[in-house]
Amino acid sequence: MKKYLYVVKTQIIKSMTYEFNVYGNIVMQTIIMITSACFWKALYKGQGMVGDVDADSMLTYVVLSSLLSVLLITNVERRIETSVVKGTVATDMMKPVNIFGIYFAEDIGNILALVFQNMLPILIIGSLMVKVPLMADLRDLPLFILSAAESFLINWLMAALFGMIAFSAVNIDALIQVKKHLLRLLSGSIIPIWFFPPGVSKVLGLLPFVYIYQLPLSIYIGRGDRAQQLSQMRIQFLWLVILTGLFLYAQNRATRKVMVQGG
Amino acid sequence: MIEAQNLCKDYALKLKEPGLKGALKGLVMPGYKTIHAVRDLSFHIDKGEIVGFIGPNGAGKSTTIKMMSGILTPTKGRVLIEGRDISKYRKEVVRNIGVVFGQRSQLNWDLRLGESFELLKHIYQIDQADFDRTLEDLDQILGIREIIDKPVRQMSLGQRVKGDLVASMIHSPGVLFLDEPTIGLDVSAKYALRKFIKEINRVRKTTVILTTHDLGDIQELCERLIIINHGVMMEDGNLSEIVDRIAPYKTLVVEYYDESAPEHPGCEMTEHDGNVAKYKFLKKDLTAAEIIADLSNIKTIKDVSIEEAGIDDIIKIAYGS
Repeated sequence: MKKYLYVVKTQIIKSMTYEFNVYGNIVMQTIIMITSACFWKALYKGQGMVGDVDADSMLTYVVLSSLLSVLLITNVERRIETSVVKGTVATDMMKPVNIFGIYFAEDIGNILALVFQNMLPILIIGSLMVKVPLMADLRDLPLFILSAAESFLINWLMAALFGMIAFSAVNIDALIQVKKHLLRLLSGSIIPIWFFPPGVSKVLGLLPFVYIYQLPLSIYIGRGDRAQQLSQMRIQFLWLVILTGLFLYAQNRATRKVMVQGG
Repeated sequence: MIEAQNLCKDYALKLKEPGLKGALKGLVMPGYKTIHAVRDLSFHIDKGEIVGFIGPNGAGKSTTIKMMSGILTPTKGRVLIEGRDISKYRKEVVRNIGVVFGQRSQLNWDLRLGESFELLKHIYQIDQADFDRTLEDLDQILGIREIIDKPVRQMSLGQRVKGDLVASMIHSPGVLFLDEPTIGLDVSAKYALRKFIKEINRVRKTTVILTTHDLGDIQELCERLIIINHGVMMEDGNLSEIVDRIAPYKTLVVEYYDESAPEHPGCEMTEHDGNVAKYKFLKKDLTAAEIIADLSNIKTIKDVSIEEAGIDDIIKIAYGS
């Protein structure tokens, strides 16, 4: 365990090396927040509630979605891909560690660095330009934290499973893009799925994506009653179990297929 | 110590036909060809040996080293290190292994060299006293103190390889694999590397397995050679034995005062250029002194020199070119 913590620490140092990198995401998230806010303001004009949510809560949703997106930045797919392409996967494999443990620790390190470099600026910009994202009911906080933690794990496991494809396919750039945009669209990160037609939103409710963004966000803005929230969290937990199972099943098989390029 | 049993590694290679038509065909129904990179290698290496793996590019040396160090899983066969199968117990066995790849570094590009070592200290769970002692020892051989605070991305190749050598030995492994470690190094860096290998082998009894194309490396370091070509073992044995067996001859170079040169019944004249003639003879049949005596009876000799069959001859012959 201690060695993985040290990887986290090292990764924080590394993340601080290239400070310029982080500004891009701040700019992008600012643009997303402001356009989404304008969009929702226009949509809500003259309407009190749409899908059980008022305009004010929707703005909170927008800001918080941008904040959450920082927590959900994963590098594991690219990490695997570049180390397979460059052949440095060889040096990862000869350490007495679980390589996915290392990748996980590196992602945690990155995110911890981003809390200051990225989340804080986005929170300030969002509060000034959109709305101070206050929680609807502070009693929901434990539930929110739990569901956000599960979101993080589900998101990471999906990324790791995608990354494993790179061990044999080598180049997965296109796949990473497809996954990223599917996640954007289907997770409710920009448009909550309760705005989708009932049939579509029912199907999406069965997929893991909405449990990455929409569930913690709707708990935060206080949408639905406790019973609804808990039943959704059960599905979220189920997905976490399924993905963990898949991950454990796949990890040794994937590394067995590793190709070392060059030399 | 290290036991390789019937190692095989196959790759499925996607066949790419030339041109746009070929690219489209490859997209719809790709053809595959199996490449046998390593076929049925078996050998045994004892503790404290220095073994050189040699063979032309693409012979399967690196693939073999990668299977021995647990990076690639063999298609067939297995590698036992101290009796344990490396592909089954990777995490435990690699603790006793160090690897240096000449063409890629295990050091962290964005960190200072010392930070990379600290990270390794934690990953291998080395206690501080051992860590300091090892670092001190290795510094004596390689002199890395002056670069320890330098970020790896700013290092020269020679400095980086020194850093990699220390990184590979920081956990005091019993086995060190070096895959073309001297590639691209200048003379003094090569010298430092060879000194390092000899020292750790002498002092720590580290078993060293290296692949190289550098004849100097082989001559200075390896007692034993394993020659591989097309994934098949061609030779395995003591360096001087292999030389005696594959190239059991020497060449005598004789310079005369004019351009005519006599033949000698016991040897073959391989070259005759101007005043100089070269006589190739078998070491077991004749000595150079006898030939010189015979030749000087026929004609006055100005100068002589002897060319030993070297490793480059061995390699030329063993590679079958």
